[in-house]
Amino acid sequence: MLDILSAASIASVLTVSFLVTFAATPIIGNVMRKRGITGRDVHKSTGVRLPEMCGIAILIGLAVGASICAVAFPNLIRETAAFMGTVLIAGVIGFVDDLRPLNARIKPLLTAVACLPILILGTYYSHPLIPFVGPVSLTIIYPIMIPVAIAVTSNAVNMMDVMNGAMPGTVSVILVAVTAILLFSAKNGTAALSAALLGALLAFYYFNRYPAKVFDGDTGSLAVGAALGALAILGNIEAVMVVALIPHIMNAFYGLASVGGLYERREIRERPIRILEDGRLQASTAKAAPITLVRILLAAGPLGEREIVREMIFLTLISSFLALLTFGIMLVGRF
Amino acid sequence: MKRLLPLAAIEVLVWALMLTVLLLISRVAYAINIGAGSLPDRIATQIVRTSVSVIIVVVWLLAWKKITDVHFWRAIARESTTS
Repeated sequence: MLDILSAASIASVLTVSFLVTFAATPIIGNVMRKRGITGRDVHKSTGVRLPEMCGIAILIGLAVGASICAVAFPNLIRETAAFMGTVLIAGVIGFVDDLRPLNARIKPLLTAVACLPILILGTYYSHPLIPFVGPVSLTIIYPIMIPVAIAVTSNAVNMMDVMNGAMPGTVSVILVAVTAILLFSAKNGTAALSAALLGALLAFYYFNRYPAKVFDGDTGSLAVGAALGALAILGNIEAVMVVALIPHIMNAFYGLASVGGLYERREIRERPIRILEDGRLQASTAKAAPITLVRILLAAGPLGEREIVREMIFLTLISSFLALLTFGIMLVGRF
Repeated sequence: MKRLLPLAAIEVLVWALMLTVLLLISRVAYAINIGAGSLPDRIATQIVRTSVSVIIVVVWLLAWKKITDVHFWRAIARESTTS
């Protein structure tokens, strides 16, 4: 059950990570701009350049929030360390990728390495809860699947980070559902970590929403994706997380299936979408272009970037509702 | 909202199919029992169960991709004729 002390701790973690990220984002943005670390906003015809790698602010907010978690829930210090270790390793991989783009095949392998703190500290329970089946004993396979899970979640979130506000907007919706599920499962410490990430992302959304003032870069998106994977493992909510991430998995799966393998955005010859003269975006009709979620959304006609992101968030709202429903099904199955 | 409905429907369908796949794996694949007496029998049972589970998952992924492909190219064709 959620006692008053735990509730207060979770609320303070959310607030502090929000405030720290809110204060840090413009500072990091200015530093990046001064150092010339900027990227072109490719979906604007104006060709505006924005500071990159501002996802560092999310990591700072999350680190401060996680530190409070470690104090508020001292019995979960190993889980907190494993969570932050995973997030920081993924963040460093993203940092390197932002400065010097990594090969499309190497990046998933490197992100898989981010799971090492979870494996080393042994903060996993190798009996995932599966709907209709219950807890499944996967003593040998589960640790082998952890690197795959972290690589999938981090790269799926990274592949969804294509429009202003898409990454923080969609992941925030997922985190509301995940935090609620963790609280209902009486996993208050993991819920606090989820709340810390939610606070940081809500603050970052303010700066990254359309028209964006900063970009999170792969530093932010890979770290946030790894954080989702780590939350699923630490909270033993793997199936629920898969359902909540359906739009992200859809996007990655369609892209990989249509191109026939791993690909890097910068290497694509046929772009999936193009900008019209009025600034709206239109789906490409080229067979060779990857079929992404945005391209599917645009298949019915051109749309503005703001509207596309709104639709992506709406789809994530549905998947988060389905995640809650899945959790309900698992609860009914248990009792 | 009109353009979102087919995608939302695909999302719900993918979720429902995922639950069906899990149910099938638990009821069909895990019900297969070649024998539990000897070690080769147990290994054979595990291999057959895993193979059947993988086949069910692959069929689910192919169905998912087919549904999306059909929806996407139809929408593109419809848009091309109207614009």
